[in-house]
Amino acid sequence: MAADPLDALRLPVVPVDPRPEFAAALLRRITSATTAGQPGPASPVPPRDKPTVRYFVGDLDAAIAFYCQRLGFEEELRSAPAFAMLYGGGLRLLLSVPGLPGAGRPLPDGTVPRVGGSNRITLQVHDLTAAVQELRAAGVPIRADVSAGVAVRQALIEDPAGNLVELYEPAMGYHERAQTP
Amino acid sequence: MGRHEEVPEEDPVAAIYHRSLPHVYGYLLSRCGNASLAEDLAAETFMAAVAAAGQPDAPRITAGWLIGVARHKLADHWRRSVREERSQATAARPGDALDDPWPEWLDAEAAYAALRCLPVPQRAALTLRYLDGLPVAEVAAHLGRSVHATETLLARSRAALRTVYEGTGHQGTGHQGTGHRGTDREEGHHGR
Repeated sequence: MAADPLDALRLPVVPVDPRPEFAAALLRRITSATTAGQPGPASPVPPRDKPTVRYFVGDLDAAIAFYCQRLGFEEELRSAPAFAMLYGGGLRLLLSVPGLPGAGRPLPDGTVPRVGGSNRITLQVHDLTAAVQELRAAGVPIRADVSAGVAVRQALIEDPAGNLVELYEPAMGYHERAQTP
Repeated sequence: MGRHEEVPEEDPVAAIYHRSLPHVYGYLLSRCGNASLAEDLAAETFMAAVAAAGQPDAPRITAGWLIGVARHKLADHWRRSVREERSQATAARPGDALDDPWPEWLDAEAAYAALRCLPVPQRAALTLRYLDGLPVAEVAAHLGRSVHATETLLARSRAALRTVYEGTGHQGTGHQGTGHRGTDREEGHHGR
């Protein structure tokens, strides 16, 4: 049988280093899956139904820096300049830039997504007073200082894009759904 | 990768991760030509390894095993893409000649570039058959087609590849080493 000229297309596996951010994020997924899901033949892969919120931001890099440096989020991926995915405290936070491809593009009726508004994520912190003090020192705008809310103490800060973020600390009468085993 | 020493040595997947990620990623990138897709599929591959390592009859996770899984993930991706574009895929031109005498000499770079222009089913079949060097029966298994249908697909794909390849100025035999620079093939290169 004659040799097939297309056999010349055979391509060996050449190692290529992926982006370090990707490699680091993948390693985190691997280690958290192997340490957390030890016995589970049913579902060793971490659940993918993480609560997810999308924020619109004008400056993607500034927003990533804010959430990672000030609020302890971790960057999972970044498709600059339009999109990033962060994880923090069990919350997956998506960041999109209005007017750019992806979630930032206009709706079919022409509405362009906007930054800001009063809706916000709320994040529990261990020591609200200390957290607000630290954020204030770092130049983060404090829109509402520590005050007593219903069964919590809370404060409102602003990310670099102008989105609100609520921080709270449980107080007397605090309630949330009990953890299911 | 020496900065990840905190990983426990006994974790087989984390251990193989350090040695094999560039191989898995390099394999996927060279086959699909798309960095973000290669990342997604590499992540799926390693998470499949985590799942497999947790089974009672866990396989030995080697680089070869990972590449095999990566190939399945890539084939799955192609099959999903084909389902999404089924109307296009089934509208394959019936008049395509199945007789496709190739020149003895082949400009591989130009052929890879031409490959990237083909519809997904054809690209998938040729990639598995020629870039990976799989026998037709294994190509058929990856694509979820019969061997006969795969032979037909391969013949049609070769003809389509030749049409694109010749359209970029590569014709017949005897052009050895000349006249194949300066054609528009940049899209086949990814800044290597």
